[in-house]
Amino acid sequence: MIYAHNLHHRSLGIDSLHIGQGHTAIIGPNGSGKTTFLKLCAGIELPHHGTLTISGKEPRAVHTGWVGEVPDNNLVFRTVADEVASGLRFRRTPADAIEPAVSSVLSDMGILHLSSRTSHTLSGGEKALVACAAALALSPELLILDETDTHLDRKAAHILETIIRRRPAPCILQCTQDMDTAARADRVIFFDDGCPQYTGTPEEVFSHLNETEMYPSLWRIARCI
Amino acid sequence: MHLKADKLILSHGEWTLSADGSFRKGVHLVTGPVGSGKTTLASALAGIFEPASGQITREGVSRLTLSMQFPEYHVTGFLVKDEIRSWHLPVTETLRKSGLEGRENAKTLTLSRGELKRLHLTCLLGNAWDAVILDEPFAGLDCREKRRVCTAIEERKHPLIIIFTHEQAVLPAADHIWEIEEGALVCRGKVPEAIPAWKGAPRYLTRALEEGAQPENIRLHDATEALCRMHD
Repeated sequence: MIYAHNLHHRSLGIDSLHIGQGHTAIIGPNGSGKTTFLKLCAGIELPHHGTLTISGKEPRAVHTGWVGEVPDNNLVFRTVADEVASGLRFRRTPADAIEPAVSSVLSDMGILHLSSRTSHTLSGGEKALVACAAALALSPELLILDETDTHLDRKAAHILETIIRRRPAPCILQCTQDMDTAARADRVIFFDDGCPQYTGTPEEVFSHLNETEMYPSLWRIARCI
Repeated sequence: MHLKADKLILSHGEWTLSADGSFRKGVHLVTGPVGSGKTTLASALAGIFEPASGQITREGVSRLTLSMQFPEYHVTGFLVKDEIRSWHLPVTETLRKSGLEGRENAKTLTLSRGELKRLHLTCLLGNAWDAVILDEPFAGLDCREKRRVCTAIEERKHPLIIIFTHEQAVLPAADHIWEIEEGALVCRGKVPEAIPAWKGAPRYLTRALEEGAQPENIRLHDATEALCRMHD
């Protein structure tokens, strides 16, 4: 689905990378190139050099739902309902179809009660959930979540994970610092020093990280039982 | 020494949070759901949010600071070296502690989110305070950096530290657990006695409790040690 070849952009350097459909967790230290890679996949930035295609198309030709890491930067409109409806309005969705779609996605996210709230009064975690709802309302081909769960409590993170398990998009790229979340993805890519160091199933990738803080906490507990 | 919330009521429109309790010397962990008021309470304890009623009293706390959830809000220096100097800290040593060697001339706001958080926390914890209030200090940090922040907290250079967090994997040893529940701040008590009553405990800790383990503190290391002790 996602194919990168000889891709170079700022500190990022990828010789060859293929990411199939499903849920892919992107992990790695701060500054390792994760967000840069996600921005290229979303078409927010264009690569200085190399090829990046999604289902054979340029990233900007793909319907992508993007939830960035800074909650304040994700929200543009005054109320939560307007924020979630915005993408549908830009797509000229018929007006009578917008309200049910907005209510449905807010309900799925467990935040229907926030519908009439003004965005600037929301907490950081609530803003992250609203940004997810706005991305999901568009039924994207590619859903990109950049450390969205860093702002969520256990219950809210569980809601997000439940939604991801329903596969709301054919391809989901989730950058996370929660290794237990990454361990439940279909595949994991570990970035370090600007390039993917390990790619594979969670078992394959975490076998390289066994002696580090990045090994999933629940797997460590399971070893002691 | 203490920082006391005395019959405090905080409100935004129809939303309210009540808090009545005393934060004494040690490391306090406060957890609660998204939107429960962690940031508002942290701000009130720091004196930058006016309560609707009640008061905050301080005894033996003259130097108090708040680390906000989003490190961008703290930036005052255009370049990284200016930012470090604004905290009255040596540039080279602070860059080394932040893992940002050679980045002194980078524009502060061009650092990645995690790098900026690292820089901010190194600067803040590098100063001397009687009380430090940390709002989501682990958000945006990678696992190694979360552990480094925990180590800095566990050094106990600052007598009173209050941490507001929903971190689920890397936590420091704590002395007291608090939770925000149904619009009120609730004290779960001292660690380790408070651990079984802690509803927002990380999954690794609840998993260890389910197995009958009795961790001495709240870190992953404490949970695995308690489990290993059971099998010895």
